Formats: sequence, structure tokens, C-alpha cells
Amino acid sequence: MIGTNITLEVKEVAKYFGGVRALDGVSIKVPNKGIVGLIGPNGSGKTTLFNVITGFYLPTKGEVWFKGERIDGLNPNEVFLKGLVRTFQIPRLFKSLTVLENVLVTPPRQIGEKVLYSPITSKWVNQEESLVEKAVNLLHRFGLGNFIHSRISELSAAHIKMIETLRGLITNAYMYLLDEPAAGVAYNTARELFTMVKRLRDEEGLAFLIIEHRLEVLMDFVDYVYVLHNGKLLAEGTPREVMNNPKVIQAYLGG
Amino acid sequence: MIGFNVLGFLISWATFLGIYSILSISLNLEVGFTGIVNFGKVAFYAIGAYIAATVSTYTILMLYNIRAAPYTTEGIIALGKYEYLNPFLDAGLFLLAIVLGFAISGIVGYLLTYPVLRVGPEFVGMTLLAFGELLRIFFQNYQPAGGSKGLMSIPHPLGWLRTPLIKDGLYTLIVLGFLVLIYLYSQKLVNSPFGRLLKAVRDDEVAALCLGKHVPRVKATILFISSGFAGIAGVLMAFYLSAINPNMFMAVVTFNIWGMVILGGMANNLGAIVGAAILTFIDRALTFVTPNLGITIITPDYIRWMSIGLLITLVLLFWPRGMVPEKPVETPPLKLIKKRGDRNEHNA
Repeated sequence: MIGTNITLEVKEVAKYFGGVRALDGVSIKVPNKGIVGLIGPNGSGKTTLFNVITGFYLPTKGEVWFKGERIDGLNPNEVFLKGLVRTFQIPRLFKSLTVLENVLVTPPRQIGEKVLYSPITSKWVNQEESLVEKAVNLLHRFGLGNFIHSRISELSAAHIKMIETLRGLITNAYMYLLDEPAAGVAYNTARELFTMVKRLRDEEGLAFLIIEHRLEVLMDFVDYVYVLHNGKLLAEGTPREVMNNPKVIQAYLGG
Repeated sequence: MIGFNVLGFLISWATFLGIYSILSISLNLEVGFTGIVNFGKVAFYAIGAYIAATVSTYTILMLYNIRAAPYTTEGIIALGKYEYLNPFLDAGLFLLAIVLGFAISGIVGYLLTYPVLRVGPEFVGMTLLAFGELLRIFFQNYQPAGGSKGLMSIPHPLGWLRTPLIKDGLYTLIVLGFLVLIYLYSQKLVNSPFGRLLKAVRDDEVAALCLGKHVPRVKATILFISSGFAGIAGVLMAFYLSAINPNMFMAVVTFNIWGMVILGGMANNLGAIVGAAILTFIDRALTFVTPNLGITIITPDYIRWMSIGLLITLVLLFWPRGMVPEKPVETPPLKLIKKRGDRNEHNA
């Protein structure tokens, strides 16, 4: 049913809120190790699509397939456990925890997170030790070694975005949904973030679906772009094709 | 101050401190660590107290074949006659009440997550507050539990020790023993990956959900544990006072416990005990001092709530995070890595 080289497939998904058709028959595909952009004017349904994919909304119609499994109807926590990690437009980190702890919260099935075992240190201390080591190595690898014990409030916007993305790597992340990773950061920082995305694709074999308004950054890094407008797909293609599509220009400039 | 009994005061204070510390630790697990706004704490305390009262009095009357309910005059007289005949029975009833108080309060807390998790976080507090008030009104009108008069002659587990000082002193040690156990357990609980998960849920539920965490189950678990602890506190209080009535379980008790948590420090178990120690000290001191003053223009009781309000305001002004602020989760590997980090800084 699904080609072996497709990671995520959204089939004819619709989401209605009363009379509002936030999504109206959208189909997209993200191939293995693909970096796919999702663009469109405000209110075109990009974030709604993310919410459908990650289980926050049940689609009114249509199906979502991930690695050959149907995932619409699952809860957000179950979607994560399948290997689909989401970041938010406004990063959602745990404010009172340190950078290291933010990464350590992520791994699923921790023995010490079971309430019956948590008071018995010897049951989980070995697992915790290896997770700490893994997390520290991960943070060092991406140049965050100096911030291990910092609180989230002490970090810059770019670092916060990086950590939100990186914390999924300590577990079985397979694909990322990034919601406006470059919003609110300087041009060069935005390019750094996208370079990190590329690095993650090349080193870890991850696939990406990225919502982004800053096309000048996005277009240099993605393989393929979908354009949403009023809940429908307006266009799709390589960055160059999409940028030259008169319909896209009209939707963005509101001609 | 003639007739001020220092030892009696200390025993009474220590008992209240123990019981209220258990309550404030349990509220802190919910509010401080997990972010569940529980305005209905008193309900679980009441459940524990009523379980202790009904189980012990009805069992004794049944065993001695008295055909009277414990709230009737006949029942109260019979209880007075039979309650201290068998020390093992009294101790057994105490233990049974502790187990039942923990289990039933815990289960009620667990079941309440069903409505609680279906309303927004802002309404959780109101839902639980309403539950507490409903439960109190239920007890007020439920005759088998004594109705508005409540139940008296609850057999003290150490009642056969006729000397009040020894009896109360030993009971205080039992209460403090429960406090130590609950404190140590809670410390272990919050300094583990589970404690980290609790704080993650408190900081951002949606993010925790997106990281694969079963947030409703986490909240239900913590409500089970902390409601069970509140039940134990209720059992301890019922046996200590030997009489209970619905008016002891007004919503103001909940806010008193909130005051302890805010004073002591959110998300710190030691802080919960410090807060409980201060507020119970004020409470006990006023109770002991007032009768010794004779007739005064203003009864010291009137300044009780004012002084607590003033204290909370002052603490929040100067130590916004409470007297003993929150500490980071410390699992052994994290402690180790922090120590190593500090040493590196020193060397550099």
C-alpha cells in the first residue's frame, strides 16, 4: 500500500471545525531522509495539519500513515512513541529543568519513571547512568556542552530551538515535524539551524517536514515543497518550481 | 501565664505538626511537583477520619454485641465501657483504619481524575473544591456517620495506658513515625526519573504529551498517592481527637494546608514540613494561651487568620519561592556529573 521509501503519507485529510474547513482534502508525502517544506499564508492550515498528524486532532476525513502504519486516531504520546517528534512554533521546553534534564525526560520506558520502582534507586540507577552519558555526549556533539547545567531561562532563542529538536535524538526519533524553526532568530542563526537539520538527515537518516515562513532560508535546504492555501494544496514541487509558480506568488502577495 | 503546661503543649504541637506535615507533603506532591491545583484536599483528610471513626466504633459495638449505633447515648456509654478492654483489638483497629484510610482515600482520588482531567487546568481546583464541600454536606446528613454531631468515643489505640501524658506522648511518636516514613518515601519519589517527569508535566503538559508521556496516568498516580497520604493523616487525627464532626472539614482546612506549602516552599518536601511547623505552632500556641489570659478586649483567636495572612504576605515579599526553595532533581548519576563539573571549574 505504501512504498517502502515513504516515511509519512497524508491521504486526503480533511478537518472541519463546524463550518470552517481548516483542511480540505490534503495529501502529502515525505520520503525517507527527505527534507520537505510546508508553506502557505497565515491561516492556510499548516499547523492544523501538524496537529492532525501528531494526534492532537482527529481528522474529519482521510488517513495518516507513518512507516507503513496508520496513525490517525492515536494519542499524541503514542504518535511520539512511533518515532515522530514534533517541535512548536513557540518552543515548549520544561522551564524549571536544566538542559540536561530536558533531554533526560525524553526517553520512553524509563524504569525510574514507573512509580513503583522510582523509590528503589538500585532498580533504575544503571539505566539512568547510561542515559546521562548518552545525553551529555549528544549535547557535546552539537556544541551545547557548556550549557548542560543551565536552566532554560538562561539560554538564547536559537539554543532553545536546538534543544527542542535535539532532545528527540536520545530516543528512537525517525522523523521530525518542525513548526517554524527559524521564526524569531537572526538570519545567520536560522541558517545554522537548517544546517543542523541537514546534518541530522545525513548522520542520523531522519526525515523532516518543516513549516517555515522564511522562504529565503527554507528554499536553500529543502528537497520538495508543498504550498497550502485555505486548507487545500495550491502547489507542490521543487523549491525552484514552487517559487516560480504564479499561483503561489499570488497567494503570498494577495494579488 | 499560670498553669501553662509546657510538656503538654509540646506533645500537642508535635502531634499536629506530624499530621499537618503529612497533609502539606501530600498537597505539595500535587501542587508543587505536578501542578495539580487541589482545592479539595480536605475531602481526602475527611474520608480518612470518617473511616477511622466508623470502622473502630462499629466494630467494637458489634464484637461486644451491643445493639446500638455509636452516635446514640447508649452507644457512647457502651463504647466508654468496652473500648479499652483489649489493647490488641484497639491496636488492630488502628492498623486496619490506616490501611483502609490510605486505600479508600487513594482510590477516591484516583477516580476523581476522571472528571478532573476532562476540565481545563483552571477548573480542576473548583471541581475538587466542590467535591470537598459536597462530601462535608453528605456527612452532615448521613446518620450512620453521626450526622451533624459526628462520632465520639473513637477508641484510642493506646487507650489502655491510663496516664494521659504517656498515652499522648507515645501516640505523638507514632504520628512522627508515619511522618518520617512518608517524608522519606516522598524524597525518594521526587529525586528519581519519576520526579523529573512530574516536574515536566507541571512545566508543560502539552510538551510532555508530545514526548510520549502518558500525562493523565501520571496525574492519576500522583492523586492516588497523595490522597492516600491525606487519608492516613485523617485517620491519625480521628484517633488523636477521639471525636470528629463535619465542621472539622470545612474548605478552610484546605487553604490552611495551602498556606503551609506556600510558606515552606513549593516543590520541596522539607519546606512543606517547615510551613506546617510554623502554622501549627501559631494554632497551638493560641489555643494554649487564650484560656490563660482570662477576659481580654480582643480574643487572640481573632488574630489567628490575620497573622497567617500577614506571614504569607511577608514571606512572599522577601522569599518569593518560600522559606525552603525548590531544589533540582538529584538522581545519583546527576549528582556525580555535577560534582565533576564543579571540580573542573575549580581547576580551570
